Amino acid sequence: MASVGQPPSLKRRDAPVSREGDQLIITPLGAGNEVGRSCVYMSYKGKTILFDCGIHPAYSGMAALPYFDEIDPSAIDVLLITHFHLDHAASLPYFLEKTTFKGRVFMTHATKAIYKLLLTDYVKVSKVSVEDMLFDEQDINRSMDKIEVLDFHQTVEVNGIKFWCYTAGHVLGAAMFMVDIAGVRVLYTGDYSREEDRHLRAAELPQFSPDICIIESTYGVQLHQPRNIREKRFTDVIHSTISQGGRVLIPAFALGRAQELLLILDEYWSNHPEFHNIPIYYASPLAKKCMAVYQTYILSMNERIRNQFANSNPFKFKHISPLNSIDDFSDVGPSVVMASPGGLQSGLSRQLFDIWCSDKKNACVIPGYVVEGTLAKTIISEPKEVTLMNGLTAPLNMQVHYISFSAHADYAQTSTFLKELMPPNIILVHGESHEMGRLKTKLMTELADCNTKIITPKNCQSVEMYFNSEKMAKTIGRLAEKTPEVGETVSGILVKKGFTYQIMAPDDLHIFSQLSTANITQRIT
Amino acid sequence: MGTSVQVTPLSGVFNENPLSYLVSIDGFNFLIDCGWNDHFDPSLLQPLSKVASTIDAVLLSHPDTLHLGALPYAMKQLGLSAPVFSTEPVYRLGLLTMYDQYLSRRQVSEFDLFTLDDIDSAFQSVTRLTYSQNYHLSGEGIVVAPHVAGHLLGGTVWKITKDGEDVIYAVDYNRRKEKHLNGTVLESFVRPAVLITDAYNALHNQPPRQQREMFQDAISKTLRAGGNVLLPVDSAGRVLELLLILEDYWAEHSLNYPIYFLTYVSSSTIDYVKSFLEWMGDSITKSFETSRDNAFLLKHVTLLINKSELDNAPDGPKLVLASMASLEAGFSHDIFVEWASDVKNLVLFTERGQFGTLARMLQADPPPKAVKVTMSRRVPLVGEELIAYEEEQTRLKKEEALKASLVKEEESKASLGPDNNLSGDPMVIDANNANASADVVEPHGGRYRDILIDGFVPPSTSVAPMFPFYENNSEWDDFGEVINPDDYIIKDEDMDQAAMHIGGDDGKLDEGSASLILDAKPSKVVSNELTVQVKCLLIFIDYEGRADGRSIKTILSHVAPLKLVLVHGSAEATEHLKQHCLKHVCPHVYTPQIEETIDVTSDLCAYKVQLSEKLMSNVLFKKLGDYEIAWVDAEVGKTENGMLSLLPISTPAPPHKSVLVGDLKMADLKPFLSSKGIQVEFAGGALRCGEYVTIRKVGPAGQKGGGSGTQQIVIEGPLCEDYYKIRAYLYSQFYLL
Repeated sequence: MASVGQPPSLKRRDAPVSREGDQLIITPLGAGNEVGRSCVYMSYKGKTILFDCGIHPAYSGMAALPYFDEIDPSAIDVLLITHFHLDHAASLPYFLEKTTFKGRVFMTHATKAIYKLLLTDYVKVSKVSVEDMLFDEQDINRSMDKIEVLDFHQTVEVNGIKFWCYTAGHVLGAAMFMVDIAGVRVLYTGDYSREEDRHLRAAELPQFSPDICIIESTYGVQLHQPRNIREKRFTDVIHSTISQGGRVLIPAFALGRAQELLLILDEYWSNHPEFHNIPIYYASPLAKKCMAVYQTYILSMNERIRNQFANSNPFKFKHISPLNSIDDFSDVGPSVVMASPGGLQSGLSRQLFDIWCSDKKNACVIPGYVVEGTLAKTIISEPKEVTLMNGLTAPLNMQVHYISFSAHADYAQTSTFLKELMPPNIILVHGESHEMGRLKTKLMTELADCNTKIITPKNCQSVEMYFNSEKMAKTIGRLAEKTPEVGETVSGILVKKGFTYQIMAPDDLHIFSQLSTANITQRIT
Repeated sequence: MGTSVQVTPLSGVFNENPLSYLVSIDGFNFLIDCGWNDHFDPSLLQPLSKVASTIDAVLLSHPDTLHLGALPYAMKQLGLSAPVFSTEPVYRLGLLTMYDQYLSRRQVSEFDLFTLDDIDSAFQSVTRLTYSQNYHLSGEGIVVAPHVAGHLLGGTVWKITKDGEDVIYAVDYNRRKEKHLNGTVLESFVRPAVLITDAYNALHNQPPRQQREMFQDAISKTLRAGGNVLLPVDSAGRVLELLLILEDYWAEHSLNYPIYFLTYVSSSTIDYVKSFLEWMGDSITKSFETSRDNAFLLKHVTLLINKSELDNAPDGPKLVLASMASLEAGFSHDIFVEWASDVKNLVLFTERGQFGTLARMLQADPPPKAVKVTMSRRVPLVGEELIAYEEEQTRLKKEEALKASLVKEEESKASLGPDNNLSGDPMVIDANNANASADVVEPHGGRYRDILIDGFVPPSTSVAPMFPFYENNSEWDDFGEVINPDDYIIKDEDMDQAAMHIGGDDGKLDEGSASLILDAKPSKVVSNELTVQVKCLLIFIDYEGRADGRSIKTILSHVAPLKLVLVHGSAEATEHLKQHCLKHVCPHVYTPQIEETIDVTSDLCAYKVQLSEKLMSNVLFKKLGDYEIAWVDAEVGKTENGMLSLLPISTPAPPHKSVLVGDLKMADLKPFLSSKGIQVEFAGGALRCGEYVTIRKVGPAGQKGGGSGTQQIVIEGPLCEDYYKIRAYLYSQFYLL
């Protein structure tokens, strides 16, 4: 007696897939109507992605974190970090080590190498009380093992989520991520710049238009001066201050734009032999350590640097000497000092500022975007008096110049980028709310005839969209020997892998997938 | 029907000749690899020359001569003009390899198949991709993607996809993780429509790991005994792995014998390799990320670019890595001739020599006692010869100038045309200058080093860079020279552009012309044949970094392509692998001959349908590893735009035979049943469960492709409680649809 198989199971009809599966949710957990603590949450078809994991530089402790409470860290599949800046990467050790997160983390090679140096330095420099410490050096080292690297344009697939990254300009290793879930594409620009500078490439224009573009709006509707004019203003200020016997303080973040400024200064000094006895100090042991990284990942830089590299290393500066602390600094005459942090919150740049601020011969050049709530932001409006670190007030007599070298896109770049990309939905993040509002209005008029939706969510405010993704299947093998006519029936196994569907006859299963079938013969003895 | 795929080998089938294959996908012609060998015999390229002009794209897989050596020649002489795709290291190291080849040849012969400029212009058309980058060829619907192959830095397994069907080209891959490279990811591709792979190593089985000790012992023994060690290596490929092994060994045993790495491009090679960390193995990237230790900051190796530096090195035992691996040309050839007659010395081969080369001869067992070699040297012309040469050049120059002026009259615009006519041989123009300059007795001065480093990044405009000779192309009218107003506008970018030019381009021009002076220095090649007594020790230790026969077979049966094309490998190896694959991998194995076009279009039927929302809301998927599966019964409908679409069935679904999905392993079933409290044991190939019931698998062991893929399982026993219980457990191992 033999029977083959068993009767077919009863089809259950109690689990209809609701429209929820097609709902795409984007929630900024940070950087919504603000600059700092970038962190954007996105979920679609049961897949969850987090872009960036930064801290807010104006706050300390838990207050600096993005609103992680809003989400379930254990549900996140992939975490993508665009670049190494603190407002994009500094809460990563906390998120990896102190939450239930168990997904995978990706960043580019250069970002990972600098990330470690930068955060280790951050932990050492930020002198907050122990309970306010979000993480320590061990956490950073442990997080290194969990971070995976990817190269530009390399396509990675995790649980059916496909993603790859493009050059973003901005800083070494900065990336824009394109994510593809079931055919719906989302581009997250992070910080980007479409202008090539002395060492970095301009941000690429992606080959495909995304369905949603999450884009930074730091500079809103402002326009940058052309690069050569900015450089000239910069060198002119330094030139005249030095000539009058003053000192120049450049508070700059240790990595990223600082390298660009050093390239400019070094070249200017080379062309002006009369300055050769005026010292330029770069007060960052961190930057010294990072030089090896800058020397290695030249593939991420532009052709100019790569060509120079063949002759000599352009990052070996001839006129710039390192400075470890204020104790090693003999303040005897004109000098140029570049020191971190860029916001003048504390540290060496603040120490020098306190000493130099009341002499009108001196100058302070603020070379980039400064975050709301920091002293650097305050002095741009040139108040009469400032509060020193020791609590006393002092007159602010030194000249303050704001010459932006920050490699963020300005309005011209943003609007051209968006016009070429033509995304049907734009989400603005990473910008102060009034700048963002103005940008939105201006973009609305400019893109009026394209039916583009522009949204500016606040932190924790979810944007919901529906994408009626058509599911396409490929019928293959024996089942497809004849293409059926309307009204005929098709029966077979539907095989889903990631977001691709195939329909096939049971006998073909082992040919087109790694699954196999079996027959069980029952024999009664 | 599926995508049409045809494969035509142009070189490198049933033998170890260079690799070059034409793969045509729906009429789009890919040339995959464009290799040559160390003999540079143009007759090998005969098949390529017939089809070169029809090629639409070139894909390169590895940065060595066998995989890309013919590219400059094919671009210059055979009319190949398609865009080329490769990874960044293949581009860069390939370029360096070709420079090294040219300079080695040029030194000993009137090598004129291609010039440095031809190499530059050939490599200018290369588009560089990163691993796993899906590059869409515009308008063709074809996506190409390079993937890690192991073997050489940047080495590539190419995946070409059209309409969801994959054609994979994987040759010379390596499964083993090495010091500087990760193993190949070939195994992550499952069931591609077509796999093109090589049989080169099919008959080779690597001895287990002891080779490293043998390698180190052989070297240290020779050095301790006061002998010299020569490792003939390639210019920029496997040598990287050897360098790291030697570095480690030297550091570990604190040896202080000098190591020299001698090729015409060694310093540039290492400079570039230092910036290719992204392309290397995990351990190298990890160590850089955490401690910023660049593995290629070599502490024990001295980089040399000419042999006089080696000759000036202090006496005493030393180890030299020199190109070419074939010993046919290059520094290795000369050093071999010098060292071969001393019994204390060792020549250590780490790869099989190319067929018909000196290296291959020496690797024979037993090695020959003596070999005939040709020693050639380039010497400057002197005395009468020089005068004769100068006269000849002046005459030629006049002729050329005359011809050029004629041509110029005909052509209105100064395009490439007249330039080419004028500088068909750059030497001609420079002859006078070169003669005027002081005698360059030593052809490789310190300047030479810069020339090499610099030459690699030619300004994009230099189709044929030459000594500063500026043709006056300006047009004149009644008011004088016609000017371009743009030239007088102060440019925005001037600030740094100017500085850049001083540092970059101008310097390049100087040195570029210096190299031409060197080239143009009237000289001739003097050759003499001599017989070298081979008394030194000859050892071959396999460091080729290719998957061996055993792992090739494992990989192939894992990848299990629907159709398999075998290329590159001796006739025996190809035949052996074919028989093996027919039995164990898939029933469609092809071994085409040169210029034989085979059609590997998949006989796969397929059509696309839309899955309607209504249908999908009733489908309940079951998860099985990476897959989710469900049975569907659907009715075919049409969407608004004429697509076929599947709708829920209106009539009751027809009954279908139930399908059990899953892979039952008896070895897994046993512990499972015993965990349920049933006594189980294997007996005669069957599993005895309890007292009466047996379970057995019948039929042939599942072959992956073709054949019957369905497992036949028999459960046998009397009707009793145990029987039902065990049957239920057995069914629970499968998904029932």
